[in-house]
Amino acid sequence: MKYGTKILTAFFFLSIPCAIAASPKNPDQCFVCHEGMGDKPSSLYKSDVHKLNGISCSGCHGGDASKEDQDDAMKKSIGFIGVPHGDEISTLCGSCHADSVKMRQYNSKLPTHQMNLLAASVHGKNAIKGGQHIVQCTTCHNSHGIVSVKNPKSPVHPLRVTQTCTQCHANAAYMRLYNPSLPVDQLDKYRTSVHGLRNAQGDAKAAVCSSCHSGHDIQPAGSAKSHVNAANIPETCAKCHASADYMKEYKIPTDQYEKFTKSVHGVALLQKHDLSAPACNDCHGNHGAVPPGVESISKVCGSCHALNADLFSASPHKKAFDENKFPECETCHGNHGIMTATVTMLGVDSTAVCSKCHTEQKSVKGYRVAQEMRLLIDSLTNDQKRALGIVEEAEQKGMEIGEAKFKLRDAHQARLESRTMVHSFNKEKFDEVIAKGLNVTSFVALEAQRAVEEYFFRRWGLGIATLIITILAVSLYAYIRRLENK
Amino acid sequence: MRSLSKKLYDWINDRVHLDDLVEFMGKKYVPINSHSVWYYFGGISLFLFIIQVITGILLLLYYKGSEDLAFESIHFIMAKVQFGWLIRSIHSWAANLFILAAFIHMFSVYFTKAYRKPREITWLTGMVMLLLGFGFGFSGYLLPWNELAFFATKVGTDIAGVVPVIGKPILVFLRGGEDVTGATLSRFFGLHVAVFPGIFTVLLATHLLLVQRQGMSEPLELANNPAHVRKTMPFFPNFLLRDLLFWLIVLNILAILAVFFPWELGKKADAFASAPAGIKPEWYFLFMFQTLKYIPAHVLFIDGEVLGVLLFGIGGLLWILVPFWDKKSSRGERNLIVNYFGIGVVIYMLLLTILGWLT
Repeated sequence: MKYGTKILTAFFFLSIPCAIAASPKNPDQCFVCHEGMGDKPSSLYKSDVHKLNGISCSGCHGGDASKEDQDDAMKKSIGFIGVPHGDEISTLCGSCHADSVKMRQYNSKLPTHQMNLLAASVHGKNAIKGGQHIVQCTTCHNSHGIVSVKNPKSPVHPLRVTQTCTQCHANAAYMRLYNPSLPVDQLDKYRTSVHGLRNAQGDAKAAVCSSCHSGHDIQPAGSAKSHVNAANIPETCAKCHASADYMKEYKIPTDQYEKFTKSVHGVALLQKHDLSAPACNDCHGNHGAVPPGVESISKVCGSCHALNADLFSASPHKKAFDENKFPECETCHGNHGIMTATVTMLGVDSTAVCSKCHTEQKSVKGYRVAQEMRLLIDSLTNDQKRALGIVEEAEQKGMEIGEAKFKLRDAHQARLESRTMVHSFNKEKFDEVIAKGLNVTSFVALEAQRAVEEYFFRRWGLGIATLIITILAVSLYAYIRRLENK
Repeated sequence: MRSLSKKLYDWINDRVHLDDLVEFMGKKYVPINSHSVWYYFGGISLFLFIIQVITGILLLLYYKGSEDLAFESIHFIMAKVQFGWLIRSIHSWAANLFILAAFIHMFSVYFTKAYRKPREITWLTGMVMLLLGFGFGFSGYLLPWNELAFFATKVGTDIAGVVPVIGKPILVFLRGGEDVTGATLSRFFGLHVAVFPGIFTVLLATHLLLVQRQGMSEPLELANNPAHVRKTMPFFPNFLLRDLLFWLIVLNILAILAVFFPWELGKKADAFASAPAGIKPEWYFLFMFQTLKYIPAHVLFIDGEVLGVLLFGIGGLLWILVPFWDKKSSRGERNLIVNYFGIGVVIYMLLLTILGWLT
């Protein structure tokens, strides 16, 4: 059989179901024909949410779905588009989804600003080949088998969305085209996280990509608008973790956010807008988020507080903490509600953390060391205040004391250093630092005292000089009078 | 003791004939009248200038006239050098008192018409010395290289720059370039310690020589009195001792000011910092500065600032040349226009200075 005859025969048989279905009761002629042809799009479209809502193929592809004749139905003159390409796709979706009036006709409760959000997102801004944007609605939602997000078959359902995102984001060759510095191992990390593990077990409530990055409004992490920007991360995490209702079944506390906002880190990040301060992800990780284990706490804290961590690791406390399975830094400083460390934490009184383990009866050596360390740091603080007081007195008297005042910074530095050196729990090393500070304070106090004495010397000097000059002037005046009276 | 001083006097007399000088001074008389008190302000200005020279030389021992070291060297003088704080404070206060004394001296000479023939050259040398005094003040103000001085110099040289035709070259000459930089500091230092003192010394010598040669001027109304009515006192020792008495009083005032109100150093100049709010020049430039603020941006076709500078130039020139246009006073006749002009100038300067100080 010749090739042309074969095509004609095929059309003949295909036209039979079309003709049967072409009755006034079933006006969607596009679907009837294409289903008869057994093509994939029509097969997928059967369960498509649009089909179920009575939207014909022509809703997106144009043409007249009521026409039985293929040529009549697919005339360009009546608006037949065919397969839309590139930005045409999102424009077509938006023609309904961005139109609240049209959406209301279908009793839809979906938001209608997705198009705007997408256009402003990193996906909406990045263009391919100078025109079309890299992400269209169909990239994530599919084209013909679109179902509700809540439907597990949806590519953007929580249990499937990670695969959808990583189609691009785990593809190093593809990502290199747009953002070579962006890692492509997020999915691998995610699978190791608590969120990822739960997700793999079928927990649709566990966080997925869109939970943190959002669906349409995705911005680069460096952007202040991004939900995963350092300044916004605590709030993003808190959406789930601060909700007692949402977290009920996981049996974990939900006060972390509240504690964090009041902590030294939270105040620095959220009130002082110091982006170098840690957010949730700096300690827990982001894609691979897990609570840091007992053994890794000092490493996590040490990524910023390096000196303290090193000193602690070399201290006798390290072994004791390991043996007792005490979480290292957290034991004394706490975790989410961590406050500014003050000297009141040191020593043996009721506010001191040392006294939790060291008492006069138990671990006595540590008790004594803690007591002495506190006394030393207090004496440095007092000496620093005393020296500053004399410096201020000298300044108030108008004396030039800038150099000594500048030197006082060294005492402040030594006090800060001593607070760090506490983590060595080594009395000798601590003594060295304190001695350095005390030397500075005594030098400054001496210099300032000299300046104050110099002030009084100047006053006395002036008094004496004025007196001498006045006596001279009076004597001269008397001499002139005597001279002129002769 | 007395014989020792006699021996020393005789020893010097043998060589330089001091007797002639003593005889000359003994015959020299100073008129006594109701305006005599003004005679002492010339001496006070001289005394303050001498203090400036002595303290200036002492400061020079430690001062370093470079952008990097000027501020630090003044800080060193004030903090480390024995009595350095006192020397710097006296130098700064004496500079201001010198200008004040010179102003009083100038106005007393003006109102008593002491500039009239034959003392025109004395007046001219005095006026140039006053202008040099302004130059000393302006150049010395920058030397600590602090924030206020830096921006005041910027504003001051900017004003000089608006003079038509020669303004721009003057600005570049003063600054050593387009902006106030280390080059400006070097220039000002050179002017302050070498050029100005050199010229000033020559003018001062001429001024004093003329005063000695021509004697003290008498007010017009007394000058025509017969010799037996006029009261006088010997220059030596009476007038000189009275001069000395005033000097001691000024020294006391200076010591009190220097100790109770030590001159501050402020912050080091930073060319990239923004100018501090309410920057003002020294008090003796304040009346001109304030006037320029009141002149509109444009008056007819002339730029307001240019007009102001031109008016000050013309006014200053008129003031300096008063002995040459006030012919009446030289003839011994009263010239009320000169008095009214002078009173107007004094009121204007006082008023604008106060306004400048308060705003």
